[in-house]
Order: sequence, then structure tokens, then C-alpha cells
Amino acid sequence: MSLRDSLMYHLNVSLLGHGALRIQRIKAQMTMNRQGWWHHEHLNPPPVTSAWLKELISRHYLKGRWITGTQKVAWVTSGAPIEFLKALGYYLIYPENHGAVCGIRRVGDEKCKVAEHAGWSRDICSYARTDIGTILSGKTPVGKLPKPDLLVCCTNICQTVLYWYQVLAQQFKVPLILIDTPFLYSKAPEHALDFVEKQIQYAIETAEKVAGVSMEPKRLRHVTELSHDAVDLWNRIMHTGRARPAPFLAFDEFIHMAPIVEMRGDQATVDYYRALLAELEARIKNGTGALKEEKKRVLWDNLPIWFVVRKFGNLLASRGVALVASTYTNAWGELADLIDPHHPIESMAKCYIHPILNRGTGQKLQTMKTMIEDYEVDGVLLHSDRSCKPYSIGQMDQQSILLKQLGIPALLLEADHNDSRVLSWEQSENRLQAFFEVLGV
Amino acid sequence: MSDPLNIPSRKEVLSDYQSSGQDFVAVYPIHYHRALLRAHDLMPVELWGPSQYSTTSADAHLQAYTCSVVRCGLSFALDGGLEKARAIIVPHSCDSLQGLGSVFLDFIQPKTPVLTLYVPRGRREMDVEFFARELMALDKSLAKITGKRPSEKMLHSFIDNEQKADSAMEAVLNNRIRIPMSNRQFYELMRTRQYVAAEKFEKLARDTLESMQQDNRTDCSHKLVISGLVPEPAELLSVMDDAGLTVVWDDTACIGRRIYPETDDADPYVRMARSILGAPPDSALGSSVEARLAHLLDLTRNKQAQGVVFWSVKFCEPELFYLPQLSRGLELAGIRTLLLEVDISEPASAQVQTRLEAFAESLT
Amino acid sequence: MSNKLPVAVGIDLGSAFTKVIALDEEGKVLQKIIEDTDPYTEKQAGRLLDGITGGEYHRVSIVATGYGRKLAKRSTRAVTEISCHAKGIFHEMGHGGTLIDIGGQDSKVIVISDTGAVLNFTMNDKCAAGTGRFLEVSANRLKIPIELMGKTALEAASEVKITSTCAVFAESEIVGLLAKGKPVDHIVRGLARSLVLRVAAMAHSLHPPKPFMLSGGVARSPAIRAFLAEALGQAVELPEEPQIIGALGAALMALDIHKGK
Repeated sequence: MSLRDSLMYHLNVSLLGHGALRIQRIKAQMTMNRQGWWHHEHLNPPPVTSAWLKELISRHYLKGRWITGTQKVAWVTSGAPIEFLKALGYYLIYPENHGAVCGIRRVGDEKCKVAEHAGWSRDICSYARTDIGTILSGKTPVGKLPKPDLLVCCTNICQTVLYWYQVLAQQFKVPLILIDTPFLYSKAPEHALDFVEKQIQYAIETAEKVAGVSMEPKRLRHVTELSHDAVDLWNRIMHTGRARPAPFLAFDEFIHMAPIVEMRGDQATVDYYRALLAELEARIKNGTGALKEEKKRVLWDNLPIWFVVRKFGNLLASRGVALVASTYTNAWGELADLIDPHHPIESMAKCYIHPILNRGTGQKLQTMKTMIEDYEVDGVLLHSDRSCKPYSIGQMDQQSILLKQLGIPALLLEADHNDSRVLSWEQSENRLQAFFEVLGV
Repeated sequence: MSDPLNIPSRKEVLSDYQSSGQDFVAVYPIHYHRALLRAHDLMPVELWGPSQYSTTSADAHLQAYTCSVVRCGLSFALDGGLEKARAIIVPHSCDSLQGLGSVFLDFIQPKTPVLTLYVPRGRREMDVEFFARELMALDKSLAKITGKRPSEKMLHSFIDNEQKADSAMEAVLNNRIRIPMSNRQFYELMRTRQYVAAEKFEKLARDTLESMQQDNRTDCSHKLVISGLVPEPAELLSVMDDAGLTVVWDDTACIGRRIYPETDDADPYVRMARSILGAPPDSALGSSVEARLAHLLDLTRNKQAQGVVFWSVKFCEPELFYLPQLSRGLELAGIRTLLLEVDISEPASAQVQTRLEAFAESLT
Repeated sequence: MSNKLPVAVGIDLGSAFTKVIALDEEGKVLQKIIEDTDPYTEKQAGRLLDGITGGEYHRVSIVATGYGRKLAKRSTRAVTEISCHAKGIFHEMGHGGTLIDIGGQDSKVIVISDTGAVLNFTMNDKCAAGTGRFLEVSANRLKIPIELMGKTALEAASEVKITSTCAVFAESEIVGLLAKGKPVDHIVRGLARSLVLRVAAMAHSLHPPKPFMLSGGVARSPAIRAFLAEALGQAVELPEEPQIIGALGAALMALDIHKGK
């Protein structure tokens, strides 16, 4: 660590940045607490805690801007075990989350085009294209992405990340740790669990070498505890959607999930989710829903269509349709029970081989059925995501079973999570209107 | 150029199996070990498509952005093409084949049993260990179907056969430039490895080597390496023949990336696992760009090839991700590259043919 | 037109138009024909070649190019559009660079060396995005004569963003825009922009050297030229007759054959 880097970091992040962001948040909260600040025809005001979220995310990326030279940086996939990296003091970048930020800010296409100009096909995942485009152009709406010292790729969400991280390894010439999680067509076989555990152990050794420090078991246990608590709170936050009217929608979860993905294992994440949960519970008590009038309840399957999240939310809200849950955000909560701070590595192996995307398509249908009951859902929106095959393949059968066996209206919507050129809004809007008519709103 | 070998077609071989009562197993791409099936007295017959097969039946289960290899393969199964097989094996090779295996097991549930095999993406000792146990699990599942319990000795002897066939294949590829066969014929020969017994393939390969010329052929104006998944539609091979392009090495997943090295572990499962994970660099095995590039540079240098044709199937992510960096590395070394994108459910478009011909013209 | 018999003929059997160029010994253009491509292409090629050679095939070298190149049975050689366009444009402009050709069914980008050799090339994939067909489908939907699209686009006061690059998607997008009451000329401008961006993206993927040159029927549209220059960040050079570059290249190759080169 150079003295200059360290000084710049503390000046810009610890002193100036944190202060400025805190003031911004307090100001925003003051506005939100004022009567009559909110004007929306169909939506109630968002939770006041939202202002805190903005501070958390801005702080994270601000840190990234000045981190080089002060802390080791690892780029990791969204489903990767990160507790050991946190415990070793790594600063983490999630290219997928960054991709979503670009999508929400509607610069995803622009980044994709840079990657396409350099020869990457339009048929590969749009997150990957957004990421490659960001690296090649050096431009991002978050200011700057620090270069990685280490890449950690876990295939429990898709194989795509493996090819993507090989591209990154070639670009940055840094070590790539692979955590290969055998896909579970049915129950996890013993040898698969052993295999993942061994790889996590190996990953720790490699990460120690790159960081030049040794793992302190106490520290790992502490991070795992924080991780467990955050996941547990996130789960309870999602469960508030079971109330009628639902105080929090999947559209809100899409935004508020950022900390559970990229700041899992931080104290601030636990504090933030605790506050959010308290606010939502108060709303349930008051009978305040996210929608001014909730007529029907719908479940979402697959990644969000980031570049139209708001537009989509408004469209549903205008018809009184509440998107009360999603299998996507659920993925970061459903494994809470598997995390055991007393057996961090063993439980990590178990937890990280079991995400929804690493289990069979029949299992996913089962998850949907359970959620349909738990959340008293009237219909299902399945986003057929051109950029995400593991999430999308199987949806055609899932849809037909939902329709025929359960009699639940289910719509398959062709789109993409980050490439707006794939979506035909006119066609989609038309289909959604027809779907609303089926729901009877 | 004639066909001195009488290369058996897939259809002929399958009808032989059926008339002689030989059980066979349908295997989807890419990596598995044939010896394990042979030890159960099952003949592996691989399913790379079939090409130019209607995807209509699969369209009810798979979105249009799933690659044509998987869509043709599922359609073929749904239309009853695999009913006579004793089992269907779906190796976990990519997200789309993962989806295929899962949709088979959870929703389609064909009468023929479906077995899966997870192929690890690393080449570390722990990958070999895991894969050996995964092969052992497959062995157990096969035993439930066949009632057989192959001994270790038996397994070793079948592994020996496969190794001989692989080394014969490597020898044929190495001498390609002296073998008077068109690209089309050559690939017909090489691809019999996907459905004939190892012993039979070895004989075909040795016969080919015996018939080869003393000297290099003089009739190929341009030497090429092809890289990709599967060289379909095969008519493009004829387009290459007509354009004076000769394939001098193969880096496709169905042939060149499955020339497995010899291994000698005492445990037959470990031996099979180590052999498969020792395959040439392959995106589906999670190889680095660096390893794949080095391999292609080596091949083109050794074979004095002027160019590499990336023969890619539309939507095939494992191939598409690597292309820009591979092409760049090759071009920097003075090797020309061409990207062909095909949908194997359709005949080759005039446009793709033009690309190949224009590539040949630009090498002149 | 001269009564002299040519020694070299180039015939470009494109998807929309067939172009023929006949040259004399010195490479002077004796005759030039452009007509719609007939569904009976083989017959059409026979008729055109019979006419232009006076049936004296033994005295003339013929190079055929374009999609129907293999249907010109009397040709000496069939060569792809890529090589012919490179040859033609190099002859016309006298220098290398990057040629962008926007044709009826496909578009191509060709990198040409200082000596006229093809260094690299790319073509659109099989869908109609980035081709003349894209404009044609859209023009039909908007009931605007295709010849007027360029002028309409340039004169439009404003522009609607068309996100779809696929001709089929774009059509449904147009229907949606019309339903919202967007003026036709704004949509036309958006369409021309969309086509150009797609083609420019193809060009970028080749790390294209300067200068840029443009050929093909669509090159006649002033809007396409202007937008392309904007997208590429510099002016685009245009040969005198952009539509016949392929046929000219083919004829020049035939002349080389005739001279025993």
C-alpha cells in the first residue's frame, strides 16, 4: 500500500465522501418525511429507508474509485461464496450488479455496442457484453471500476460466467479461481458436496496467497454470521410481500437487493435491512400497501428487464396489479438456513451448490408453486430472457403446467435483462394488456 | 477422389445394431467415456443434431434462442428417434444441454431412461477425483439398466481399445495432407468414431493410413484449421473442396478436441477421468483463452495452415465468448481467420458459402 | 455504346438487380446494363451474355459474381462479390481503405490494402438488418416510394428513435409509432439512422482503416451517406456509379484473365 494512495483514499472516501453522502441522505429523508412531497397516481411513497440504500451503494462505488493501492480487489460472480474474501480484506466488484446499474441508467446498450464493435457476438449474455464494453471503453456511470487482483467465478448461476471470466483473465492477466458447482438434476450427491468444499478450501489458499495474508478463523466466522443475519433479514423483508396489501413489491426488491448481493457480510448491510424491515412491518400494521389500490397479485420469474423496470412498474400499478414476489430476489434468501457460522466452509459448500439456478427446472416449478401459495398469487409473469438460458430453458413447460394443472394465468414475455434492442415494447405492452384482461383488472 | 474405404453410414450401423440385437445408447454432446458403455455391452451412438432436422417438435419446449444442436436433438427424440435406445445420456456440456437434460427428466420423461453426467470444468487433481466418482455413479445407473457389473479388468481393456482408436485418429489427422480424400469424405470417415465401435474405427483409420501417398498432396491450394462444435451442414465441406481449401487439422468439439491422451492409473474410473480432462483445450471444459490460443497457434504452425475457420453454431456461448481474443491473437501471428455462423437445422445459406469462397479468394 | 466486341465481361447477378459491364482491350467500358434480376436467373444470364458477346464466347473472358454467379453457365470463372467489389472500388478510387457496400439482401464491409488486396471482410448475418431490404419493408409499411426515403429522412425536422434493427420487429415498432401519431417523416429519419448504425457496427468490428468508401444501390440515398459519415466520424467517399462496382470488378478480373494475368 503506498502512502499516497492511502492518503487519497482516506481524504476522498473516509472524510469527504462519507460526510457528503450522509448529508445527502439526511436531506432526502427530511424531504420524504414532509407531508405532501409525494405525488403519484397509483403508488404510495417509497420507504424512507430508501435514502439510506442510495448512500450505501454510492459509498460502495466511491470506495472502489479510490481503492487501488489500499486494498486487494476481487471481481466475483453474483452467486459466489464471498465470506472468505471479505474475511481476507478484499474489496469486491460484482460485474453483474454493475451491469444492472448500467441497465437501470439505460447505458447498457451503449456498453454492449462497444463489446460488439470489438467482435463479441450479440448472442452472448448482455451482462457480459456490458462488462466487456465497460472495460474496453473505461467509462461507467459509477465513476471507475478498480482493476481486479483476483477473479472468482462460481458456476452455480450459469456456465456463461466461466467463459466470461476467462475473457477477463485474458484481459487483466490475473489469477482466476474457479468454483465449479455440479448442477443438481435431483438431490445433491455426496461427491459433489465434497468437490465444492475442496474447491472452497483451495480458493481460500489462493486468495490468501494473492492477498499475502492468512485467514483468521474468528474473522471468517464473524463475516459468516453477518452474512447469515443479512440473508435472514432479506428473507423476512421479502416475506412482507405476503401481507395484503403488500407493502413492498418485487420491483422494490430489484433495487433493494443490491446490498444482499454485493455487501453481504458487512455490518452496514445488516443495519440497513433491519431498519427497512421495521419500516415495512409498520406499514403492514397501518395497512399501507405499495400500491394505492391492490387488485391482483402477480409473481415474477427470471431476471428483471432492467432498462424498463420503472416503466413496467408503472404499467402494472396503473392496473392495480401488485408484483408481490419474484423467484429471482428469492434466490438470495431461500438458502438462509443452510448457512452455519460454526461450520463456515462446510455450510458454504452446501449453500452455494443449492441456488435455484443450479437445480433442475422441475425444482424451479416447485419453488414457484410454493410461492404462489405463500403469496396468494393470481398470475405469473415469466420473463423469457434471451441472455439467460439456464433461467429461461424450462419456462415453456413451467408455463404450460401452471396454466393447465394449476389454472394460474401465466404469460411468457420475450425480452432481455440488459439489451433493450431485443425488446419490442409495443408488442410486450399489448401482451401485458391482454394478460391484465385475463386477470380481470 | 474415390472412396476406397466404404465408410459405413450412421443409418447402416444403427440398422446393424438393431438386426443383430446389439443394444445401444444415444449420447448427446460432448465429453463422456465410451469404454464405460462398452463394458456394459452398450454401443454409444452420438447425437450431434441430426443436422437439417426440423425443430418443430422441440419448439414447444425450448425457446428460439437455444442453439440448433440442442433443438434438433430434442426434436429427434420427441419424434421417436431414440425409442430403440436402451438409454439416453446427456453430458453437462453447457447451459443449453443442462436445460435439455433437466427438461427431459422433469417434464418430458421419455420411456427410455435419461442419465446425466457432470463434466467438471477444471483440470486440477480434485476435478479428476470428482469426475472419477461421477463416472462411478454413471456406472451404477447403467448397471440398473443392464444388470451388469463390469470388472476393473474389463474396464481397463475397453479403455485400451478407446486409446488405440484415439491414437489412430490422431495419426490420420497428422497425415491428412498425404491422404487423397476430399474434406467431405475425410469428415465422413472421422465422424464414424461417433457411432462405430472403437475397434472398427481403428481399422478404418489404419486402412486409410495404408492407402496414403508417399508425398504431400499437390492439389490443395490453401491449408486450414477448422475450430468449432461440429462441421455441419456438411455441404460446406464440399464448398471448401471446390474453393481449394483443405482442412489440415480439426479443432472441433466433435473430433479434434476429443483426442484424449493415454493414461495409466490403476483405478479405471480415475484413468478414464484423467484421460477426458486431459483433452486438448476446449471451451466446454473451461479452458483459458491463453491455452486455446497457444494450441491453435501450435497447430497452424505445425501444419503450415494459412487460416483458421471458426465454424460456430448460432447461440453457442462457449464458442462465441472466445472468438474475439482468439482471432486477434491469430491475426497478430499472421494467421487469417474467418467466422462462419450456422444454424444446423437449416441448409447452408448462400451467404455462408460466399463467405467461405471469398475467404479462399483472399488467401490467394 | 460501340459496335466493337468486348474482350472482357463482368456480370453481377445480385438479389435485386443484375449488372453487366463489358470492356475492350484497353479496359474502356463498351457497354453497361442494369436490370431487375429475373426469378429465372439462369435464362436471364444466358440472354444477357449472348447479347453482349454476340455469341462469340471463345473470344471473351467472363467473370460472374453475386448470388446468382453459378447460374451464369457461360462464364469463365465465378468469383465472390467480396473480391469483385474490392477490385472494382480500388480501380475507381485508386487507393485502399474500407469499403462499405449496402446491397439489397446483404451488406458487407471489406478492408482493402494499399495494393488492392482483400485484407479482411465481414457480412451481415442472415437476417435483413442492415440491408436495403430493411428500408424496403419499412417503406412499404409507410407507403413512401423507396426513392424518396432519403430525401424525406434528410428533410425531417425531428427524429424518432427506432430501437429494433430487425426488419420484422421494426415493422411492428412502426405500427406502434404510427398509432401514437408520430409523423411519418420523423419515423423515416429514425429508420435510416437505425440502418446506418447497424452497418457502422459491422464496420467497427474490423478495426477499419481510413478512408471509408461506399457502394451498393442504397449508397444513392443522401440520408444514408450523411448519417454514415456522422456514425463513422468522417466523410465517406463515393464512386461515380456505386451500384455497378461489383460488375466492374468482375469485368476487370475478366480482363486480367484475357491478358493471361
